Amino acid sequence: MEFLIKLGTLAGAVLVAGAAQAAEPLVTAEWVQDNLGNPDVRIVEVSVDPGAYERGHVPGAVSLNWHTDLVDPTRRDIADRESFQAKLREFGIGEGTHVVLYGDNNNWFAAWGAWVFDTYGIEVSLLDGGRKLWEAQGLPLETGVKEYEPSSIELPERDESLRARLSDVVDVAEGRLAASLVDIRSKDEYEGKVFAPEGVKELSVRAGHIPSAVNVPWGSIVQEDGRFKPVEEIRAIYAAKGIDGSQPIFTYCRIGERSSHTWFALKRLLGYDARNYDGSWTEYGNAVGVPVVNLAGTVWTGK
Amino acid sequence: MQFPLRRAALPAAVLVAVAAWAGFLHVQPGGRDLSFSLLAGAAFGTVLQRGRFCFLCNFRDFTERRDPRGLIAIVVALAAGAVLYHAVVMAWVPQPQPGKLPPNAHIGPVGPVLAFAALVFGLGMAVSGSCLSAHFYRLGEGSPTSPFALAGAGAGFFLGFLTWNPLYTLAVYASPALWLPHHLGFAGSIGITLALCLLLAILLLYFASPVSETRETRFDLPAVTSKVFVERWPPVAAGLAVAAISAIAYLRVAPLGVTAELGSLARTGGTAVGLLPDTLHGLDLLRGCATAVKETVLSRNGLFVIGLVMASFASAYAAGQFKPSVPTKGQAVRGICGGVMMGWAAMTGLGCTVGVLLSGIHAGAVSGWVFLAFCALGTWLGLKGMKRLGA
Repeated sequence: MEFLIKLGTLAGAVLVAGAAQAAEPLVTAEWVQDNLGNPDVRIVEVSVDPGAYERGHVPGAVSLNWHTDLVDPTRRDIADRESFQAKLREFGIGEGTHVVLYGDNNNWFAAWGAWVFDTYGIEVSLLDGGRKLWEAQGLPLETGVKEYEPSSIELPERDESLRARLSDVVDVAEGRLAASLVDIRSKDEYEGKVFAPEGVKELSVRAGHIPSAVNVPWGSIVQEDGRFKPVEEIRAIYAAKGIDGSQPIFTYCRIGERSSHTWFALKRLLGYDARNYDGSWTEYGNAVGVPVVNLAGTVWTGK
Repeated sequence: MQFPLRRAALPAAVLVAVAAWAGFLHVQPGGRDLSFSLLAGAAFGTVLQRGRFCFLCNFRDFTERRDPRGLIAIVVALAAGAVLYHAVVMAWVPQPQPGKLPPNAHIGPVGPVLAFAALVFGLGMAVSGSCLSAHFYRLGEGSPTSPFALAGAGAGFFLGFLTWNPLYTLAVYASPALWLPHHLGFAGSIGITLALCLLLAILLLYFASPVSETRETRFDLPAVTSKVFVERWPPVAAGLAVAAISAIAYLRVAPLGVTAELGSLARTGGTAVGLLPDTLHGLDLLRGCATAVKETVLSRNGLFVIGLVMASFASAYAAGQFKPSVPTKGQAVRGICGGVMMGWAAMTGLGCTVGVLLSGIHAGAVSGWVFLAFCALGTWLGLKGMKRLGA
């Protein structure tokens, strides 16, 4: 009998731990609909457009603001442990809560959120297709904000191994470190024809890309309806560019958010050793004395 | 008055066209907001035209003839809209948190620049004969002045962009976006807004000259048809309709405003020919009628304004109030001068009587009340000045 109780406890512990740590990378809109009332599931929206969440969100969802809740508003960094923990407590996210993120613009910033959660030891799921698919399917939205019983979650210190720093990518560029670089920006930015897309405020004074980086724009791994392409298709797309998971992969974009979308695909869908370089081109392209490949030969003139 | 059926054909065709366009937009990717904006604009245009919801004419009716009905419609719109808006905001933002404002709400920076812009806007209203929203609906009535006023406003926006950077570093940067719920809570914000509206209503009615309204007792099809399609809507009905459209538009897409598209056109054009500064300091961060550089042909605000003009034309035509005429030189000059002033002021103050005054007061923004006070002062001075000039 005692043996059976022990076995049961063990099985229970394994189940709980499993729920907490190994979340499926993607959940479907149907799954979310079936789990709307599930107290162990917390849906979190991370959208770029102000007012998108307020004007209608997945019922019961809470919202994280990407430029105040997920980052440190003063220094350029991920949100510190205390403030992020306070936010999660407010949302009632506890040790065993299954967190599902979704957002507008093909889950760009939801994927960035997934990376931030992961650095604090919480593996989350993304609602595949995000807002785009949810809205296209005509699924219900609500405008009220639900309040949850606060949790008392204790976050671990940030896991910096999911993050690549300037020194890491310079080491790759100069051949001291064996790793692959994936530049997920547009072809024109990668080739140096433009310094940044039209209308953006974050600029670099050099155009081009980090030596040895391959260009796989983020959009090449998503379908028209906003969902990720099938895993094998994604694997083939990267393999065609020489990215096969045989060595660590660093992803980057302009400000480090969109590259989280690619990081999510490489790390969570393909299981590769991927890190996000969140400094990205706005750090690298402004850094002094680092090697740059500029195929177009554009010269910065301050205009 | 009998409503002639033949007069209904053209307006019906216009409204069917609006509906068909909205239906078409709705099924496009990302078209829900565009479709809604077109329909909201049509509803707003109908109410403005049928209710003669014109800030200047209503003001003039009161100052010259002590007829308070039009201004009462505005006060009703402010009070009812504030209650409906707060209901929306309280659902979205259960607790007003310091430093955070409800999304997109027109809570503008309060300071001397706003006060001066509102004053100039009032002067421009008096000179051109209408505020900007009324010029849009008057376009649908065939007004000879409105095209000049709107063209002038475009030019005024351009001037506004040119003077923006110095004004920003002079004062706007330090002007706080004051939101009543931050200081008084939601209940206090609604309470003070309603109290101010009540005070305004009492003052208006106290100083009003007795209006003898002939009561139509008949309540049959011809009488009601005439009441809805020909006669001016009663002030309370018009005010409530404006309030409802404002709150529903905020809930679904964005606060009401009529100048964003006009300003965007001026900014895009000016930037394209290189006459405007590359950077307009802080502008894209401030709350109000945003004037972003255009990226798409059809914008939400553009469709809102198109819907407004189309529906205003339909209802004016049905009412026999579509009376186009060849503009006189005086009308053209007044339109352009007043328009330039209003355009400059709407750019500098981040909106007009709709975007700042109406949408601001609804949202609990102090900027709305500041605009109301100084715009009224400017209008009063402007009307006096115009009288002296004999215009």
